[in-house]
Amino acid sequence: MFSIFKGLVGAKTLSMEDLNPILEKMKDHLISKNVAAEIAVKLCESVGTKLQGKVLGTFGSVTSTVKTTIQEACVQILSPSRRVDILRDALEARQQKRPYVITFCGVNGVGKSTNLAKICFWLIENGFQVLIAACDTFRAGAVEQLRTHTRKLNALHPPEKHNGRHMVQLYEKGYGKDAAGIAMEAVNFARDSRMDVVLVDTAGRMQDNEPLMKALSKLIKVNQPDLVLFVGEALVGNEAVDQLMKFNQALADHSNVNDPRLIDGIILTKFDTIDDKVGAAISMTYITGQPIVFVGTGQTYTDLRNLNAKAVVNSLLKG
Amino acid sequence: MVLADLGRKITSALRTLGNATIINEEVLNSMLKDVCAALLEADVNVKLVKQLRENVRSVIDFDEMAGGLNKRRMIQSAVYKELIKLIDPGVKAWTPTKGKNNVIMFVGLQGSGKTTTCTKLAYYYQKKGWKTCLICADTFRAGAFDQLKQNATKARIPFYGSYTEIDPVVIAQEGVDKFKSENFEILVVDTSGRHKQEDSLFEEMLQVYTAVQPDNVVFVMDASIGQACEAQARAFKDKVDVGSVIITKLDSHAKGGGALSAVAATKSPVIFIGTGEHIDDFEPFKVQPFVSKLLGMGDIEGLIDK
Ligand SMILES: Nc1nc2c(ncn2[C@@H]2O[C@H](COP(=O)(O)OP(=O)(O)OP(=O)(O)O)[C@@H](O)[C@H]2O)c(=O)[nH]1
Ligand SMILES: Nc1nc2c(ncn2[C@@H]2O[C@H](COP(=O)(O)OP(=O)(O)OP(=O)(O)O)[C@@H](O)[C@H]2O)c(=O)[nH]1
Ligand SMILES: [Mg+2]
Ligand SMILES: [Mg+2]
Repeated sequence: MFSIFKGLVGAKTLSMEDLNPILEKMKDHLISKNVAAEIAVKLCESVGTKLQGKVLGTFGSVTSTVKTTIQEACVQILSPSRRVDILRDALEARQQKRPYVITFCGVNGVGKSTNLAKICFWLIENGFQVLIAACDTFRAGAVEQLRTHTRKLNALHPPEKHNGRHMVQLYEKGYGKDAAGIAMEAVNFARDSRMDVVLVDTAGRMQDNEPLMKALSKLIKVNQPDLVLFVGEALVGNEAVDQLMKFNQALADHSNVNDPRLIDGIILTKFDTIDDKVGAAISMTYITGQPIVFVGTGQTYTDLRNLNAKAVVNSLLKG
Repeated sequence: MVLADLGRKITSALRTLGNATIINEEVLNSMLKDVCAALLEADVNVKLVKQLRENVRSVIDFDEMAGGLNKRRMIQSAVYKELIKLIDPGVKAWTPTKGKNNVIMFVGLQGSGKTTTCTKLAYYYQKKGWKTCLICADTFRAGAFDQLKQNATKARIPFYGSYTEIDPVVIAQEGVDKFKSENFEILVVDTSGRHKQEDSLFEEMLQVYTAVQPDNVVFVMDASIGQACEAQARAFKDKVDVGSVIITKLDSHAKGGGALSAVAATKSPVIFIGTGEHIDDFEPFKVQPFVSKLLGMGDIEGLIDK
């Protein structure tokens, strides 16, 4: 009898002393799952502030309460309010008789060109005619890489299957030329030849490389694409934060307009290489508040997924 | 690079020891907390950081020790020894032998910088008067052969590859045989990017390895990698005999601490670092001078030996 009463009376108010050791452990756990340290700290702080002074439910332990709260916070971070609906927007552009333009950007080797090709495949499957603009005029083999993809994609979707239409074409001017100019020509070409979507591939660049960041800002400013996608790999650690902040900053700084085009969404690549170390998904969305539009899960055209926020959070908190 | 950048933070954390009147458990813990936070921010593997913390703690027995000065020095020297362990696997770096065929096979995750670095390495030795060549055993990635071909042509390095052969083992074997018969000294074999989760890719790597019998396997790692590095590096090492590490993209803002876990996981030293996209953005990396330089910085001079 007495023990039951004790249980009820024992419902306690959470203090920072109760919370701190558990939050500390949670922070270390998040870092071990590859969440950027700075963001793991902020996340735990916000959970601490939220829970401090709250009355602990009869059945919950402090640990499980912290875990649930972190879980909710992470699901929320991964589910931004704005959704990107490429198929809808591309249809709308088609009705307006103009091509829908997507620009891919990011640091070196993260998977921009490959995931561009996967998205191209997905668009073709949805009946869109696509022009790929080869605006990486720097890296050796970049143009041939896209030419190979164009050839393979056309083989998978030959004109016979599409009322004689060539579903994908490549717009390229070789190496060494100005990327912004080629993008512009490609968009004009697509408009004239009534193609639905232009996918603009750009060269990889480091976020601290000022001339290259300026060139990217210029490309985006003069072409005003419908969608700017940042490509980031799930392998990246703390650097995720710096990459996204500086790409956004560069787009803002060099645009000279009040309402500059910034990153609209993220492609999270190489998700198949990280087991349960899914933290980069949190770091990237936390910093930008922008959605992960696609997740790259392999090297073939069908290895493209939508983000499953619940599954990501489960992996994050597991173990 | 990570330890160089960390130097400042760690020095200031260690300075708290100097400022404290007594050195007790609390002072030590707070110093260690700062050092570990700095390491984690630089992507150093969590397990290695934990180990470092425990190893330093285990050196110091507060009940037994007397003099404050002694404690201070012991703690500082323990921290440095642990930091050095992160970067120095304690084995001698592999070096090629002049006048002989040296086959060097590059392996690593997708997009880490293998193809770019292959040319950089071949170019580096070519400039030093070695007879070098490149072999493209990546038949998977779109445009892979064109990439290597364009790089090699620009650097005037002989190369081998094929647009039609789809088996990388065949190309690797043919290329190595051809260049060996022509008495090339440095034969660099580029391979496709791969990851431990896909068995068939790892099996393919082993087949190339068995076919060309490389004198050295170089594991190429991107400086921006986070906590996933360790498991990948270990898996590569388990499959083929990785002997060296090259860390690329150190021209970024990344400190490369994640990539360093490849050193511990493969028990192999970093031999070069990549610092840009151009062919000469490439530096030899020597553990010992690097460490001496680190230890030579400001306040921390001579800490270890005294
Ligand atoms: N495992 C895996 N590999 C991927 C994924 N996406 C891309 N890759 C691989 O990553 C490597 C680099 O891809 P690219 O598309 O060339 O990367 P990029 O960002 O265009 O590179 P640069 O143009 O040189 O900056 C290739 O080997 C791709 O096959 C993915 O989701 N999973
Ligand atoms: N900034 C910078 N970029 C680099 C460095 N090393 C390589 N890169 C770039 O990283 C990207 C990927 O390099 P690759 O050499 O194609 O990588 P890889 O490992 O061969 O890629 P896969 O064959 O697809 O696995 C390219 O854009 C390179 O120019 C470096 O040290 N600094
Ligand atoms: Mg590319
Ligand atoms: Mg390659």
